[in-house]
Amino acid sequence: MPRTLELPDQDTLSRLPGLSRRLFLGGTGAAALTALLAACGADTTPATSTPSAARAAVSAAPKRGGVLRVGTPPPPTKVDPVSMYDGSAIAIVQLVADYLIWLDKDFKLVPRLAEKWESRDGGKRWVFTLRQGVKFSDGTPLDADAVKATFDRLLDPKSKSAALSAFDSVLARGGVNVSGPSTVVFTLERPFSDFPYLVSAGNYNAVILKKDHAGDFTKNPIGTGPFLLRSYDLSRGASLVRNPSHWREGRPYLDGIEVKFYADDQADLLALQSGEIDAQILSRAQLVGPLKGAGDIVVDQVPATALTAFTFRVDQPPFDRKEVRQAVAYALDRPGLNATLYEGIGALGNDHLFAALFPAAPADIPQRGKDPAKVAELLGGQKLTFPLTFDPPTKDYALALQAQLKAVGIEVTLDQRTSADFYGGDQEKDTPWLFSTANLVGWAGRAVPSQFIIPMVKSGGVWNGSKYANAALDAAADAYDAATTDTERKAQAEIIAKALNEDVPVVISVWGGAVRAHNGAKFAGVAAHPSNYVDFSEVHAL
Amino acid sequence: MRRFLLRRLATIPLTLFAVSLLVYAATELVPGDVARTILGREASPASVAALRAQLGLDRPVVQRYLDWLSGFLTGRWGDSYTLGAPVRGLVLDRLGASLLLAGLAFALLVPVALTLGLIAGVSHDRPADRVISVTGLTLGAVPEFVTGVVLLVVFAVRLHWLPASAQAPEGASPVTRLGHLVLPALSLVLLCMGYVARHVRASTVASVESPYARAAALRGATRAQVVRRHVLRNSTVPATSALGVQLQFLLGGLVSVELLFNYPGVGALLLQSAVDKDLPTLQAVAMVLGVLYMLIVLAADLTYRLLDPRVRLGEAVA
Repeated sequence: MPRTLELPDQDTLSRLPGLSRRLFLGGTGAAALTALLAACGADTTPATSTPSAARAAVSAAPKRGGVLRVGTPPPPTKVDPVSMYDGSAIAIVQLVADYLIWLDKDFKLVPRLAEKWESRDGGKRWVFTLRQGVKFSDGTPLDADAVKATFDRLLDPKSKSAALSAFDSVLARGGVNVSGPSTVVFTLERPFSDFPYLVSAGNYNAVILKKDHAGDFTKNPIGTGPFLLRSYDLSRGASLVRNPSHWREGRPYLDGIEVKFYADDQADLLALQSGEIDAQILSRAQLVGPLKGAGDIVVDQVPATALTAFTFRVDQPPFDRKEVRQAVAYALDRPGLNATLYEGIGALGNDHLFAALFPAAPADIPQRGKDPAKVAELLGGQKLTFPLTFDPPTKDYALALQAQLKAVGIEVTLDQRTSADFYGGDQEKDTPWLFSTANLVGWAGRAVPSQFIIPMVKSGGVWNGSKYANAALDAAADAYDAATTDTERKAQAEIIAKALNEDVPVVISVWGGAVRAHNGAKFAGVAAHPSNYVDFSEVHAL
Repeated sequence: MRRFLLRRLATIPLTLFAVSLLVYAATELVPGDVARTILGREASPASVAALRAQLGLDRPVVQRYLDWLSGFLTGRWGDSYTLGAPVRGLVLDRLGASLLLAGLAFALLVPVALTLGLIAGVSHDRPADRVISVTGLTLGAVPEFVTGVVLLVVFAVRLHWLPASAQAPEGASPVTRLGHLVLPALSLVLLCMGYVARHVRASTVASVESPYARAAALRGATRAQVVRRHVLRNSTVPATSALGVQLQFLLGGLVSVELLFNYPGVGALLLQSAVDKDLPTLQAVAMVLGVLYMLIVLAADLTYRLLDPRVRLGEAVA
């Protein structure tokens, strides 16, 4: 008899880089599949559990030629550099277009179309000098006008770009000016010492497009990147070939890239296992983790700054008492969450917003751990029960939290919504992700801590779901942005981190890591990136 | 027969109208905002409001429905809200793919299920019957994505005999394309086989034990002759409606198989457009599948009438 298929609500849909938009067949099916695949691979070629094979291969002279076949979920919306926000669309655009500055796996800034940059007026003005001799794929030279047009486009309120949020209160329309053919000057609304990050790949919409960018990127895919988009089919994938006039001498090594769309995680994984593709763009640690050591699959992993914020409404019971919030924070087994949710590749969080990747991260705040006695003391006999609202991508996290909190006598009622419902509604009045008693929100990785702090915990922040307000933290956040020395920045970071760790408006239990799997017997140079970005210009066939 | 056909054809537009109303109303009731889906949660409320206006989502629902209806009837199916592509090309392309996979699965299903059902019925309560019945029930109870995973792991990952993806490369030969469809078709056949075979088995058992079969045997006909002349046709007639139901399922209900085998069919498109509240796409898929479903039911009824004279006679008497 035909089986009635249960429609997964927005289940497994995730719209941000770092989280894949894949459907279905999750849970035990996924676990069973990975176990099955791992078992299948166990008796094949000798294990390669780390990217050592790839590293060894990199040391040899890179071979030119070859086509890398990669799998990724189909973009949920059309591929538009200005409004894109999902990992697949971003990856396709990153293959074709460049940023002023690239962000490497250690979150260091790497000059790309900008050769150098410097701040003036105490960080309120930034002057960028463009690289000479760079041409767009249609032969048009890159100049300051194209860069200005790119940022004017992003800053236009009608652009619908997520970059608008990133530039909020820092750079407004009219703040970008040309000073010669290769010089662009950004005049900010306030000093912002991390500004280069906002015009880097860390602000993924900031790819440099032509001044007269026509708007339909898949039909007019003009960029300065290492590859040219030859064809694009929204159901099947994309075909790219080497850009023969790429500004980086001798790059890319590959002749081309075939991008195949897989709407399902398992299909993507099976394609990698069967040799139908050579690499994944958005690997999931839970799926590829068990494959380490199975055959030719190499799983590269890096620390990342993605997180799931466990947010409390501090302006209403039961979380209007700091002790209650702290009690929940002390109830969590963070290494257990890391193992369960991230295959152990994440880093423990300490309830503040400075990941170890951020240079200013304070190191002297004691790591919070599970302490049932402290929980009892903080609750003082109070029976704590609360609803936890979340959407499907954080379902596993919610279940793990419920189990861990139950162990110390805290009852959690799970309130799962579809993603459309969870993020829907009025953003200033009733949307569940900003107005529920307690919730879980997945945040894609950010290049600078201010991109978390300003919207999430600063008073009146646009995505301040906890409604936390702390004047001292606000002042420190402003001072952090304006700091011109590392010492000053670290001092402000410590104030912010200590306030968050003490007040616990959000629990940050684990910072997620990023993984990328590929066939290490065929290709080298396929590296994981904290934001799941792609730079395949160094990839070469073996 | 002609009156029957005309009456059934006349119900199609009415049914489609009801389906379109239901789909539209249900989509309106489901929480969520397609503009937010398109722009992502980090887009500003002003951007979301601007996109809603651009898509016409700020107009009254009745007006939007009527605009959609008039457009659809005049061949203007619009663009997908989320993908920005023309809906007609998108839906028909996916439908063609689904028809190909469903057609192959159905072509494999019919002979296999009929044969197994006949063997089980003729071997009533003997080991062959039990093996076929238990196997069919077991496979029918296992979700197709589980069967599919096992098939993939064995034949694509382990043995490398067949490709993991149902999508053949651009410009592949028909034989190669067929090779890519074998595993998904097989997982569907394994799922549906038991259901159809059970129907055939039941009617075969009834036919074998019927007075006319006994009379034929008493007249000296061999068992094979009895089966061929008297049992075969009577056993397969009831399977017609079972096969019709399976064909409907194969056309629109393949979401998990399409996802697992990475096949861009209409089922996954239907699911995604429903999740995203992409109404132009959702409505077009619902309409196209609605037409197909009704045509399949009609074809099954007509086949039943052609194979079974009692139905035609009953109608004539009435």
